[in-house]
Amino acid sequence: MNGMTVGISGYGSYVPRLRIKKEDYAAAWGSFSAAGVSEKAVMGLDEDVLTAATKVSRRALESVPLEGGVVSRFALASTSAPYVEKLLSGTVIVGAGISNGAFSSDHTTSTRAGTEALIAGFEHVMANPGGHALVAAADAPRASMWSPIEHGFGAGAAAFVLSSSNLIAELEGHASYATEHFGERFKVTEDELVHDLSVKKFFEASLVSNTTKAANALMKRLGRKPEEYQHVAIQQPDAKVPSSVGGKLMFGEPQLASALVSKSLGDLGAASTPVALAAALDVAKVGDRIMVISYGSGAGSDAISLKVVGDRKATPSVQAQIDKKEYINYVQYLKIKGAIK
Amino acid sequence: MRKVAIVGAGQSKYGEFPEKGIKELFFDAYKDMVASVDKGIDPKTIEAAYIGNLGSGGFQLGNMSALVCEYVGLPYIHTVRIENACGSGGYALVAAVMDVMSGNSKVAIAGGVEKMTDVSGTKQKYWLGVSGDTEYERLAGTTFSGLYGLIAHRHMHQFGTKREHLSMVAVKNHKNGAQNPKAQFQREITLEQAMKAPIVAYPLNLFDCCSTTDGASAVLVVDADIAKQFTDTPIYVTGFGTSSDYLAIHDRVDTCTLEGTRRASQKAYKMAGRTAKDIQLAEVHDCFTIAELLAYEDLGFCEKGKAGQFIEEGHTQITGDKPVNASGGLKSKGHPIGSTGTGQAYEMFNQLRGTVQKPARQVKGIERGLVHNVGGSGGTVAVSILER
Amino acid sequence: MAHVSIPMYWRTIPQRYKMLGQKCKKCGKVNFPPKGVCKYCNASSEFEELQLSGKGTVHTFVLIGAGGAPPEFADQEKAGGSYPVAVVELAEGPKVIGQMSDISPKDVKMGMGVKTELKKIYSEEGVIRYGFKFVPDQ
Repeated sequence: MNGMTVGISGYGSYVPRLRIKKEDYAAAWGSFSAAGVSEKAVMGLDEDVLTAATKVSRRALESVPLEGGVVSRFALASTSAPYVEKLLSGTVIVGAGISNGAFSSDHTTSTRAGTEALIAGFEHVMANPGGHALVAAADAPRASMWSPIEHGFGAGAAAFVLSSSNLIAELEGHASYATEHFGERFKVTEDELVHDLSVKKFFEASLVSNTTKAANALMKRLGRKPEEYQHVAIQQPDAKVPSSVGGKLMFGEPQLASALVSKSLGDLGAASTPVALAAALDVAKVGDRIMVISYGSGAGSDAISLKVVGDRKATPSVQAQIDKKEYINYVQYLKIKGAIK
Repeated sequence: MRKVAIVGAGQSKYGEFPEKGIKELFFDAYKDMVASVDKGIDPKTIEAAYIGNLGSGGFQLGNMSALVCEYVGLPYIHTVRIENACGSGGYALVAAVMDVMSGNSKVAIAGGVEKMTDVSGTKQKYWLGVSGDTEYERLAGTTFSGLYGLIAHRHMHQFGTKREHLSMVAVKNHKNGAQNPKAQFQREITLEQAMKAPIVAYPLNLFDCCSTTDGASAVLVVDADIAKQFTDTPIYVTGFGTSSDYLAIHDRVDTCTLEGTRRASQKAYKMAGRTAKDIQLAEVHDCFTIAELLAYEDLGFCEKGKAGQFIEEGHTQITGDKPVNASGGLKSKGHPIGSTGTGQAYEMFNQLRGTVQKPARQVKGIERGLVHNVGGSGGTVAVSILER
Repeated sequence: MAHVSIPMYWRTIPQRYKMLGQKCKKCGKVNFPPKGVCKYCNASSEFEELQLSGKGTVHTFVLIGAGGAPPEFADQEKAGGSYPVAVVELAEGPKVIGQMSDISPKDVKMGMGVKTELKKIYSEEGVIRYGFKFVPDQ
């Protein structure tokens, strides 16, 4: 790391108000497969990840506050964007009032995309003193209704303004680990729905291996110990994974608590660690440290270490949005997700 | 400027006719018109035909007026399709009147035809939803029921107009239409049925909305100086007026006023030297029940906001002092879009001459009538005044 | 058959995504959507661009059921039930029609405060068309 300090100067989150309870799944299928998840969020019929990304981008800009016209880097992350080929950032740039001259990138091929986008944004502000980046992650993954992996799939979004001044959280460093792996959570080109070959132990091993390698490399480089982190936001395909990864990294349950959004929202895909980070920022105190550890199938992990330096909070908070809900039943769920052909 | 008379009028049945297209329907109306000319007409004297039509039957995008004219034996005349959405027929009448008034033609047809039941339900909605503002009103998720629903809801909110008032229009018009052998629906309905029908665009329900219909009509418009060659009881077009308005209702000055109706009727009254008080029968454009209530106000029959009271007090019944839609209106008679305006003239022609088919519907001893035809949600309006 | 083409839809993005209005240089009133000639004074074609807030109040509304939905919205109505459409009086003056979202039909009230948000409007020829809808402003 060079001497230049960069970090988060603003953020925003969005949780759709529709929810479905695990009991409704259990009634339909006999069981519910996402451990620790008690209910999850569902996008409405007239929303998608691009409208959600637009919304959180606006919220993040307002939280600084910053005019979209001065943003020089935009990065968008999602595994469930409506197009496989088309500049996704275009919609959000225009909808959120971001400068057309910003360099924009779309990150879409795994649930690691959220931290991919964040790191890209950090790199930009490090190389461009005085510049600002906006990173938005929005996801609402879909799989066949017959697939157990579908049970946990929720919906949510978060965005971050990255700058070199007026910070609420400083970037201390980041580390990554990526390698070849397959069969877990994938879509070939013509697929709309995620496949997963359910080789459970094989996939768990990949998740644990990649995340612990990235996180340990980072803590070693920075000279940090696990107990120095008050908030740890780990990838949440369900609400138990953070405990198993956290356990291997010597993080305790209290450290995982503030970011454990999957309990109420489900698996947020590429937006999992971003929304979890927003939830941690919502309650963090100045001086706290936050560790973010993502995971994407195929496979790779990013670890990001942040130190909270300002107490500006986004409104509405993640928890406030979690509390604002409207339940739907399983038939309504099927209709909304387009599962009834 | 010449004076203008109507000396014949015809209409096909209005309804759903799988065996007839626009050519056959127009021919029905044309034959009926020819038969209605007391002293007969030589078709070779017809110089012009103005044909109201919106959808060309779904197949003949250009030159449909030439097609229907040659089909009925008029191959070499001045003919043009007139399109102002549901106001096409009213504007066809005005066009024919202006042609004769100017001295250009001596004998002209004003007619209209529409074939609405050939296309699938989905395609029909693509047609019908395109005469409001397509860019904003349609893409907000409305067709006409939604637009008139917005107006009705505001009228209820601003003036206290009640659900019952809307349904009273439907009940009255079905009662009149039950006596009209050419109407699409010839059965009475009760107020309770009308009020409890399924919601289409709240506050409007199914019985607040006119249907889709096939049909055609034609009236024979001639120079007044030669009218008596055709009949001893011509009906004179003593005034007309037209006006457009902002297409989208959100662009209008007042949500609850059709400026088009207000201005068109004022122009018509002025030309005829008449006022609203002089009108003894009106055929108005009740595509939705709220549209008839607005017409009472915007034609000057009652004050703005008081239309609910006006119908409640019974003024617009056939036996009332301001009968409206003795034919059954669009609600009961049907609304074959291009034909509606000239169909209203057909009804008025018969009413003024005392030749309505069923006596129960005949308004007795009247001399001055008004026809009111609206395009879409009021983007265009044509009003004509017909007198004995 | 009538339909709004891709270029035609694209041309309205400044209004649909960004709520860009025009302020008449002559009479100062705001036109939205744009007109060739100011609809208030009917006397000027000179405008300056104005970013609207997207906020307004419900002037009137309707609840569209199955029979009232254009084909583009038929599936939405089937899956989600009847939806509200409102004419909203924007804070800057003009009124505009828009579908309402994030609200139950029974909760829509005359005069309530609303604001615009980007939503999916419909899809045609595989292309998704986004635009503003009105959501409750709290």
